[in-house]
Amino acid sequence: MTSKIVLTYLIYLPIVLLLTLYVARTLFRNGRVFMLDIFKGKADIADATNRLFEVGFYLLNIGFALRIMQIGPRWDNDPFDTNQEVVETLAGKVGGFAIYLGVMLFLNLFLFFRGRRKARQDGGNMNPVPLVTQPTH
Amino acid sequence: MNLNLLAYLLFFPAMLALAVGVAQTCHRNGRPWMLRLFNGDAPLVDATNNILLVGCYAVNLGYIALVVAHWEPITTVQVMLGTLSRHIAAILFALAGLHYQNIAVLLIWSRIARARHIATQRQAQPETPHQQQKP
Repeated sequence: MTSKIVLTYLIYLPIVLLLTLYVARTLFRNGRVFMLDIFKGKADIADATNRLFEVGFYLLNIGFALRIMQIGPRWDNDPFDTNQEVVETLAGKVGGFAIYLGVMLFLNLFLFFRGRRKARQDGGNMNPVPLVTQPTH
Repeated sequence: MNLNLLAYLLFFPAMLALAVGVAQTCHRNGRPWMLRLFNGDAPLVDATNNILLVGCYAVNLGYIALVVAHWEPITTVQVMLGTLSRHIAAILFALAGLHYQNIAVLLIWSRIARARHIATQRQAQPETPHQQQKP
C-alpha cells in the first residue's frame, strides 16, 4: 500500500484555503464599519485601507498554512498508509490552523478597536490633515 | 471499519453541532448586552458581533479537531464508549468555561462602563444648575 501523504496534502489545501477565505471575507466585510469610523466617513480611503489589510491577511495566513503543511515522519520508517493516520494528522493540522486563525481574527478586531479609539481621542480638536496629497489641477 | 475511525465519525459531527449551537446562542443573546455597552450603535455592534461569532467558530472547532489528533488506540466497543464519553466531557467543560468567561467579561465591562458614565455625569453636574436657573 502506498503512502497517503500526498492524499492528505490534497485534502488539507482546499480546507485551509476555504477556511481562510471565509474568515477573511467575514472579517473585512464587517471591518468596513470600523474603517469608516477611523477615517471619519471618507469611504474611498476606508475601502482602500480595508482592501490592503485584507490582502495582508490572506498573505500572512495562507503563508502560515503552507508553512505547517509538511508531514514529517512520526517514527522511523513510518509508512503513513492507513486512513486513521490521515484523519488524525489532518485533524491536528487543520485544528491547529483554525485556532491560529481565530487568534489572528481577535488580534485584528483588537486593532480595529484600538484604531477607532485613537481616532476618537484626537478627532475632536485636531485640524484634518490630508493623508493623501491631493493633485492640484 | 477501524474503531478509532468510527469513534471520530461519531465524535466530530456531534461536537461540531454542539459548538455551532452554543456560538449561535451567544451571538443572538449577546447582542442586547453589546447594544447597551456601545450606547445603541447598531452597525458597530453587529459588525463586532459577527466577527466574534466567526472567531468563536474558528477557535472552538479548531480545538475539537485538534483533540481528535491524539486518541489512544481503541480495540473494543467498551473502550470506545469510555474514551468517547471522556473526550465529550472535556469538550463540554471547555465550552462551559469559555461561556462563563464570556458572561463574566460582559458583566465586568458593563460595570466599568456604568461607573464611567456616572463619573462623567458627576463632572458635568456643577454646571447644570447655572444653566437651569437662567431662564
